[in-house]
Amino acid sequence: MIPVATSCRRRPAPLHIPVVVLTGFLGSGKTTLLSRMLRHPGFSRTAVIINEFGEVGLDHDLVETSEESLIELQTGCLCCSIRGDLARTLGRLLAARDQGQVKPFERVIIETSGLADPAPILHVIMSDAGLARRLALAGVVTTVDAVNGLATLDRYRESVKQVAVADRLVLTKGDLASEDAAPLAARLATLNPSAPLLRAAFGAIDPELLFDLTADIVSGRTPDARAGPHVDAQPTDAGPHAHGPSHDAGGGHDGDISCFAILREAPLPAVVLTLLLEALAEHCGADLLRLKGLVDVAESPDRPAVIHGVQHVFHPPAWADRWPSADRRTRLVFIMRGVPQAWVEALLAAIEAEVAEVTNRRAQ
Amino acid sequence: MTRGGELAEQAACEPMPNLESAVEALLAQSLAAWRVSGAVEREADGALVVTFAGRELRIRRAPADLPFRGLVAEAGRERGAASVSGLLRHVRAAVDPGYRPVRLRIAPLPLLPP
Repeated sequence: MIPVATSCRRRPAPLHIPVVVLTGFLGSGKTTLLSRMLRHPGFSRTAVIINEFGEVGLDHDLVETSEESLIELQTGCLCCSIRGDLARTLGRLLAARDQGQVKPFERVIIETSGLADPAPILHVIMSDAGLARRLALAGVVTTVDAVNGLATLDRYRESVKQVAVADRLVLTKGDLASEDAAPLAARLATLNPSAPLLRAAFGAIDPELLFDLTADIVSGRTPDARAGPHVDAQPTDAGPHAHGPSHDAGGGHDGDISCFAILREAPLPAVVLTLLLEALAEHCGADLLRLKGLVDVAESPDRPAVIHGVQHVFHPPAWADRWPSADRRTRLVFIMRGVPQAWVEALLAAIEAEVAEVTNRRAQ
Repeated sequence: MTRGGELAEQAACEPMPNLESAVEALLAQSLAAWRVSGAVEREADGALVVTFAGRELRIRRAPADLPFRGLVAEAGRERGAASVSGLLRHVRAAVDPGYRPVRLRIAPLPLLPP
């Protein structure tokens, strides 16, 4: 495992409760994984929202949990029609917690339906003003079925998007797969090189690996060729699994989806970052599937900013306590649909040149 | 040395593309990204000319007495752009009529951590 300075992980402010979105296609093992996680002693006091596509829910009956955790059920597809319901459910949970009606849960897990596009769900968490005061998106965990995963990725766009936005990929049902999982692993690495691929047999996995979701950014695990190959947080059956340049030095692609990283040696003025995010949101919109970054902001030399974006929604930056290593480069990891890396590079360069020109003019 | 002094020294040492060449590169990459068949060329007076679909956009620096960074002209009509972002918006609106920008404003980053 790559060592990460604990104090530099993106930790929400004390009043912020971390929210993890657990997604994955139908039958990919989300509920099994969730059930195992909730039985882990370290994951008592977890509030779970389970969303099922259908009027009658079943998954919540299949999840065993401790007395300190609680489960809410929503039916219908979260990403299509009941985003408001999700906000209300979260708000109700928080109110019940505040009033002592439920145990004071310390984290929230939202299990999406297998057909859900996770992006709108992330938007609710990141953009609802009331929720943003209390909750912080900790990341996205996506389960992928080792048996049917490749075929599912070929047939269902939802599954591609679920993989593309993930912070962690969990390969399930490896015990049932008769064929070598290497082609699926390679496909996943191409779709999302920045997400470590973990393996879970019968849902068994160290939950800590799933909830340390922003350590990759802080530790510099990006798909950039210069960063070198990285090793999974948990060795797979075939030994350490390397993502990154060995797969596709020019950035992965699956259809129109690509993942790439942009690095900067020099600090970025805050205004450059703001202008870049604005332009990306304006011109890319929904094609900016995910942006994660550790930024050396010129005005904050000792505390890098950790940024998250999903489509046109950007979470307020979190500030790491300090740099996790001597590597102080700005690292921006993009997962884009149909947007070339060269365009983003050129956009950033033009904005930097513009801000430098204005700064120099004022200094004269 | 102050952080600002360090940055100024760093900026002096690192090659920074000037604004004209950076915008030229951005426009060329933008045509490719937007899948528009066209070209970007620089004229002798420094103006950038974007040609596409039999049309032509001429982009030049705005005079110092105007509150714009650049001017975008097509068929005798000239519009001001206050920033690189504004310039890009004008160009995309011209070359990509189906484009509907996401009207989103990003709040300025807090300059210092809380």
